[in-house]
Amino acid sequence: MLRFIGRRLLESIPVMLIIITGTFFMQRFVPGGPFTAEKAVTPEVQRNLEAYYHLNDPLWKQYRDYLWDLTPKRFHPQALASGLDLKAAFGIDFRPSFKYPNRTVNEIIADKLPVSLELGAWSLAVALVFGLTLGILAAIRRNTWIDYMCSSLAMVGICVPTFVLGPLLVLALAIHLGWFNASGWYSPIDRVLPCATLGSVYAAYIARLTRGGVLEVLNQDYIRTARAKGASETRIILKHALRGGLLPVVSFLGPAVAGILTGSFVIETIFQIPGLGREFVNSAFNRDYTLVLGTVILYAGLIVICNLAVDVVQVWLNPKLKFE
Amino acid sequence: MPPGRDKLNLRRSGAHLGLMVLLLLAGACSRPESDRFAPVPNVLRISQRNEPSDLDPATAALPDEFFIIRALSEGLVVPVRGADPQPAAAASWDISADGLRYTFHLRPDGVWSNGEAVTAQDFVDSFRRVLSPATAARKAELFFSVKNARAFLSGNLKDFNAVGFHATDARTLIVTLDRPSLGFLRYAASGPWIPVNPRVVQREGRTWTSPGSYVGNGPYLLQEWLPGQRIIVRKNPLYRQAAAIHLQEIRFIRLDDGESEDRSYRAGEIDLTMGVPEDKLRVYAKDRPNELHRAALLETRYLAFNTQREPLNDSRVRQALSLALDRQRLVHDVLHGGQIPARWILPGATSNEHPALPSGYDREQEQARALLRAAGFPNGQNFPRLELSEPVSWQSTLVLEAIQAMWKQTLGIEMAIAVREARVHVAALRSGRYDIGFITLIPDVDDPVAVLRDFTTASPNNYPHWSDRNYDALVEQAGQSGDPGAQRHFLREAQARLLDAQPLAPLYFNTQNWLMRPYVHGWQQDALWNRYYPGLWLDKR
Repeated sequence: MLRFIGRRLLESIPVMLIIITGTFFMQRFVPGGPFTAEKAVTPEVQRNLEAYYHLNDPLWKQYRDYLWDLTPKRFHPQALASGLDLKAAFGIDFRPSFKYPNRTVNEIIADKLPVSLELGAWSLAVALVFGLTLGILAAIRRNTWIDYMCSSLAMVGICVPTFVLGPLLVLALAIHLGWFNASGWYSPIDRVLPCATLGSVYAAYIARLTRGGVLEVLNQDYIRTARAKGASETRIILKHALRGGLLPVVSFLGPAVAGILTGSFVIETIFQIPGLGREFVNSAFNRDYTLVLGTVILYAGLIVICNLAVDVVQVWLNPKLKFE
Repeated sequence: MPPGRDKLNLRRSGAHLGLMVLLLLAGACSRPESDRFAPVPNVLRISQRNEPSDLDPATAALPDEFFIIRALSEGLVVPVRGADPQPAAAASWDISADGLRYTFHLRPDGVWSNGEAVTAQDFVDSFRRVLSPATAARKAELFFSVKNARAFLSGNLKDFNAVGFHATDARTLIVTLDRPSLGFLRYAASGPWIPVNPRVVQREGRTWTSPGSYVGNGPYLLQEWLPGQRIIVRKNPLYRQAAAIHLQEIRFIRLDDGESEDRSYRAGEIDLTMGVPEDKLRVYAKDRPNELHRAALLETRYLAFNTQREPLNDSRVRQALSLALDRQRLVHDVLHGGQIPARWILPGATSNEHPALPSGYDREQEQARALLRAAGFPNGQNFPRLELSEPVSWQSTLVLEAIQAMWKQTLGIEMAIAVREARVHVAALRSGRYDIGFITLIPDVDDPVAVLRDFTTASPNNYPHWSDRNYDALVEQAGQSGDPGAQRHFLREAQARLLDAQPLAPLYFNTQNWLMRPYVHGWQQDALWNRYYPGLWLDKR
């Protein structure tokens, strides 16, 4: 298994290189730059700005220098304990931001990523708890009113987008009832509305996948064997049926985690959460070259790791699969 | 769909909502007391729509950044709505007879928040910092009327002593201009002229603007800065007029857009918004008339015609297009925000004399059709399908759709609307790859010469790519003129020439509409979004 993981990590190096190169050059060819505004700066100021950010160097030189700054130069993962500082831990320097001259991209990521991760983690927890419960209930009470209710709930959850559900919840629970804040990320109570909104969509998908997966497994011979041996229904569901029934959910979780991380932009904007998703999208509008690259690289790395984790878990769940 | 099914769906979504409510109820039981709900005496909570890039007056470029900087520091003079700049760090000033030398006398009681006295040398050092090429200050242009400032900024002049800033003693600052400038004090009141404490900047480096390091000479101190969340400033006990500061704290709450701002205001989390969503203006005017406020802005919205492209290179076509616009209807039926229809380019507050409004839209429509006929497009026949380019924004789409309909109705011509990302839009306009573009013109200072200079041949803001030597000369003469009467004359001539050639069609002068709680008193903001915080008070009884 270690060889499998090692090989997959090595394979991801060219992938990352392609992503970095593509992003680096694509954003330079997008019309408008970091200093483009309806009110133009004078030519002197434009020259000074370009010199300050080394934009007057030839493009290949900028690319080469940037790649060198990105290359990991040390290995002190223990430095991560005191804060998410990729420069101290691995020598990866994402450089200062164009938009926020008093902050580096490393600092922005260290500041914002934990917020997005927290939002993602709670949303995923909401999604799993409700999705699995509804899905299992629907499967074991197939074609009863319980099944119909769970399934239609899931359908509604899939159909109502977060940018509709979020403002609706705010309108009802924050503005009219005053139970929550309409926006912000200060106290634990502020986590409820955003996580419920983001989680509900994924809960709906998970419920449908779980129902389908468990139903399929329940017809297998080994379930009949377990029943014949007199195992309790609870034991059959939790011990035997779930292990196989969850496979589709696990393969869904890889892209779902990536989606929750990169797709939190909408939720972060509705609820004014200081997460990385909002910075990611705004950095593209701001032509903040270094921040765009830094977040793209980070997300790409996270997605590579998530997919790898999903593959490992799938082999563990399904003995028919092998590491190869 | 059978009716029974419909009912079932309703029941299902009802169940869904019910479950969500239950879920959230469970969470609500553990709700701690939030400080944002209890009315806090003497704390003002303001919506901050744009995250400041930095809080350094030398490099800041947006009004949104100066919202906070002006709470933390103050310049020699401060801008005031509808009046000349008022004394601030400078108690008074003398102007030499030729209008080239301004001698500012600083207040004896001006101190930095770390206790040091504010000296004239601090101002000189701050200005040197703004003009140093290494600082790359975006708004350095606002210093160009000062002797040799431009040469020093471009790096051609190395000796700062040759630039027109001199401190003769601790409290006397002499500014020498290289030409008489009637609006000079307005420039001196602009944001980049706000001083920094040079010793603190030297010592702290790039992070001098963080809480704990920031030293200013203004009414408030930087207490907290959570990027993307909020900025809190608290009363500065050392401020020269500390008695006039009634608020304990001002909180700038970061809110991305008009919708979330609106929700936060209604939930009682902020006291003051930046704007009101267009579609809610009429509702608020009816429901909360004493909370809805409106003020004129120095902001002209216009359509630029690409004069390098056919058929827009024909001034008759441009005039026909402009005449066919019913600006009155645009403002009253589309925008609802009290905007002022514009037939000229200088906003009301800058130009003292306006050409009279031509009478009757009907007659203008006739004129427009006749002009188009003369240009070879009777009833819009053979007129090519042009593109109206606009940046992504709710307001401009409404406006452009109305314009599209007016041109079709009056002139019989078809236009396409192209919505572009903001910077792509500007880049297309600047490089001339567009037909007709929607532009918002906001000058840095209230100076009509600067507004008209945008349309001179060499200006990077000359989006119509129009060139007229006589116009350039008139604007230049207006800028050189030291006599208000003569300047007015040149401005009037220049504007008349511009509107005659019509490389652009002014649409309207914009306004700000905002919501403010009735207990907020003494709110001061000029037409360029410059705020003045002393004198603010809250009556929360």
